[in-house]
Amino acid sequence: MKEGLTSVLADIAGAGNVSDDPAELYVYGSDSSVHTAVPQAVVRPGCLEDVQEILRYANDNRIPVIPRGSGSGMSGQVVPIKGGIVLDMKRMNRIIEIRPKDTLARVEAGVIDDDLNRALKPYGFFYPPAPASSKIATIGGEIANNSSGIRSVKYGATRDSVLGMKVVMANGSIVTLGANTRVEASGYQLDRLMVGSEGTLGVIVEATIKIVPIPDFRSMGIACFNKLEDAGNTIGDVISSGAQPSMLELMDNVAITAVNNAQNLDLPDVDAIILFECDGNVKGAIDFEMERIAGICENHNGFDIEMSYDAERRARLYMGRKKLFASLSRYSKGYSVISLADDMAVPYSRMAECALKIHEVAEKHDVIMSAYGHCGSGVVHTKVLMQPGRKEKWQDAKLAVEDIYDYVRSIGGTTSGEHGIGISKAHSLKIEKRDSLWMMRAIKKALDPNGILNPGKIQDAPDDWLTATNLRYSTK
Amino acid sequence: MDIRYLSAWEDELNVCIRCAYCFEGCPVFRDEKMGWEVDGPRGKLILAHGLLTGEIEPSAHIADKIYSCSFCQDCVQRCSANVSVPDIMAAARTDLKNAGFTRESIEDLVNNVESSGNIFGEELEIRPAEGETPVLIGCRFRQRPDDVERYLDILRKLGIKPRVVDEEICCGMPQGVLGYKDDFEEYKEKFKEKFPFKKFICLCTTCAYFISKAYSELEPVYVINVIQEKLPEVTLKKLGVKVTYHDPCNVSRGMGMVDEPREIMDRIGAELVEMPTSGKQSECCGGGGGLLVTDNALASRLAGKRVRQAEELDVEYLTTLCPTCEFNLQNTVRSTGSDVEIKNLLDLIWEALQ
Repeated sequence: MKEGLTSVLADIAGAGNVSDDPAELYVYGSDSSVHTAVPQAVVRPGCLEDVQEILRYANDNRIPVIPRGSGSGMSGQVVPIKGGIVLDMKRMNRIIEIRPKDTLARVEAGVIDDDLNRALKPYGFFYPPAPASSKIATIGGEIANNSSGIRSVKYGATRDSVLGMKVVMANGSIVTLGANTRVEASGYQLDRLMVGSEGTLGVIVEATIKIVPIPDFRSMGIACFNKLEDAGNTIGDVISSGAQPSMLELMDNVAITAVNNAQNLDLPDVDAIILFECDGNVKGAIDFEMERIAGICENHNGFDIEMSYDAERRARLYMGRKKLFASLSRYSKGYSVISLADDMAVPYSRMAECALKIHEVAEKHDVIMSAYGHCGSGVVHTKVLMQPGRKEKWQDAKLAVEDIYDYVRSIGGTTSGEHGIGISKAHSLKIEKRDSLWMMRAIKKALDPNGILNPGKIQDAPDDWLTATNLRYSTK
Repeated sequence: MDIRYLSAWEDELNVCIRCAYCFEGCPVFRDEKMGWEVDGPRGKLILAHGLLTGEIEPSAHIADKIYSCSFCQDCVQRCSANVSVPDIMAAARTDLKNAGFTRESIEDLVNNVESSGNIFGEELEIRPAEGETPVLIGCRFRQRPDDVERYLDILRKLGIKPRVVDEEICCGMPQGVLGYKDDFEEYKEKFKEKFPFKKFICLCTTCAYFISKAYSELEPVYVINVIQEKLPEVTLKKLGVKVTYHDPCNVSRGMGMVDEPREIMDRIGAELVEMPTSGKQSECCGGGGGLLVTDNALASRLAGKRVRQAEELDVEYLTTLCPTCEFNLQNTVRSTGSDVEIKNLLDLIWEALQ
C-alpha cells in the first residue's frame, strides 16, 4: 500500500516531490509542540491542481491529509496523529498580485510572511499580523492558525486581514470564499470559518489579504516596574484610555532574565517591563499618544521610562521580545522551554491577577513559568520551563497546565489567543466550548464526511495531551 | 548505533524548540534543488535527536543529509536559543561514521591529511622563513607558495618578522568536523609537535577559527587582526579600485569580524560596493563543512549565487579572505564563464603596500 501511495503521489506531484524515506517522515512528524507522530508519506504540491488530485485520491482511499506550512505551530496542529499524507505547501509560494489601490494582495498559501512584506515595501505597504515567526511562517499557515502578533493590538489578528481565499475541499473541489472588498454581507462568512480551522475543513491554497500603508513614523517605549501586578494593571488602563498603541507587550522577570542570558541585551533586571509603540504619519500625534501611555505607566509606579524613534534602538528593544520564545530555554542551565499553556487570552481587567496566578501555579507544581505576551490584545503567553528529560516533571507540567486553564476559563478568558488548539489544548477547548462542540463536529462532518482532513485535532483530539502521541523529548 | 558523541548534546537537542527560525537563511534549505525540511537545520537536529533516542536507524540517506551542511553558522545566529547546530552535526557525523556511514570522498580527504599532512595528499612546497613570529600557512595557501610570499611580505612591511616552518601540517579541521573525532584527539598532539607554538598568526581563516575553537591551549591570531592593527602605522598607496566583498562565514559569523576587513578596504582605497547580503547576514558560498567533496554540485550552485550577485555590480573584483571561498568562487567563475574576477583581499593589501 505504502509503495502504491508513493507511486500515486509521484504521478501527481513528480517523483522528486514525494518521499517515504523513514528519515524524512520522522522530520515531518514534528513541529514546535511537544508532540511527534510519523506520517506515511510527504508530498510537496506545486500547484492547485496537484492539491486537488491528491485530495481526491486521499478521500477515495480514506487516507488522512495534513496540510503543513513551515511547521512552526506550538500545539501539534500539523503532527500527523493518525498518520497519512503530509502536504508540504512551501513550494506554492507565488505572490500572484499586489494591488495598492485596492489595498490588497493575492498570494499562494506557501508565501512566507516576511517575503511578502519585502515585496510590499517598495509599494509602501505592509501586511500587519506580524507573528514572531514571520521570518518563516507561511501565509496559509497563519490563516489556518489565525495567528497574531505584536501589532494585533492595533491591526487585529489574521482573521482581520483576510478578505477571501481559495480552498480545496476534502473531495478535491475548489471553493472561492470571501470577496475582494473591505466589507461583505453576502451570506455566511465562510472565509472566516476557514480562519483558525487548522487544516481540518479544507486546504487553503490561495489567499486575498488586506495590506496597509507603512506609517511614516514609529516610536517605541519601555517602562520598568518593581511589581508585576502594577505592570499588569497598566495594560487595561492604557487600552481603556482610548490610546491606540501599535504594540503593548509585557515581560516578567523570568522572560527578562532569559532573554538577557541568551541575547546579551541588558534589559533592566526588574520585576516586569512594558514595551509600547505608537505609529502613524503625524509625529505630534504619536508623541501625544506615547506621553499618554507613559503617564499611565507612571500612575502605576512605572519608572525609567524611555521612548525613541531611533530605528536601531527600537530594533534592539524589539529583539528582546521577538527572540523571547526560544531564549526562555536559557533561563537556567538544564531547563528547556516547553510549549504548553502558551497563549491564553484574558479580559484586560484580569491581566494583573492572571500574571500573578501563573507564578503561583508554577510554584505549586515545581516548574517555572513566565508571564509575558501581546497583553495589549489580551494574550498572555506562559510556557513551562522544566527539565524535559525527567519523566516525573511531565506530570507536574500536566497539573500546572490544568490549573492554568481552569483559572483562565473561570475569569472569562479563552484557551488560545493565537497559537491554536491542535492536540495539546483540546481538553480545555472542549470544556470551554462544550455547548458548541456539536456545531463544530457537524460542520466538520458536512465538509469532510470521511474525516480525512487533519483528523484528531481541535474538537476531535484526545483529551489527554500527555498520552495523545509520543513526546518529542527523550525522558528517563 | 553507538551515540558516544551525540549523547553529549542531548540537553541542547532538548533546548531546540523546533521553531524553524533557522530555515530563514540556511543556504542548503533555500537551494533550488533542496527545500525539504530535512535539508534545513531544524530537520538535521531532529535527525540527530532520532539517532540519539534510537527512534530512527542510521542510513545512507541520513548520512547524506547530515553531511549536507556547509557549517556556515547562519542558523546559529538566527537561533534565539543559540543552539550550536554545527557542533551537533560534527558529533552526528562521527557517530554515523563509526556506524559505517561515511563518505568515500571524506575518507580520502582525511587519509590525505593523515598521510601527507595536508588535505591534498600531495607534497606541497613550503618556503621556511627564519623570523620571530610563527605563522601558520594552512593547506590551501600552501598550494600557492608565490601568493604566500606576498602575504608574508605584508607582515614584514608591517614590522613583523614571520617564522615559517616546513614541518607544518594541516590543523585537523577535516577530522574535527567531518566525522573523525576519534582520530582528532591523537592528531592534535601530532599537530602541536610539528607546529610547536602557542601563539601564532594564521593566514587561513579556517585554521584561525577552527584552532581557536578546538585547541583551547593555543592562541591563534588571524592575520587580518594584525594587519588592521598595524596598517595605520605605514604609508599606503590608495588603489582606487571598486570591489565587492564576500564575507567568509568563519570570519563574519565565526570570529565576528565584519568591520575589520571593511576598515582595511577603506584605508587602502578599495571602494566597497556591498552585495545584497553582507556581514553577518552574508550568504555562504558553499565551500565549508566538507560540501566541496560531499556535494560539489550544491557547493557550486551556492557559489554561483554569489558570483551572479557580484556580476550585477559595477566592480573590478569580487574579493574575499578565505582561500576555500576563493577556490570555490573561482571554480564557479571558470565553469560558468563569468567575467567576475576573484581576488583575495590580502593581494589588494599587498598592492597598497608597494
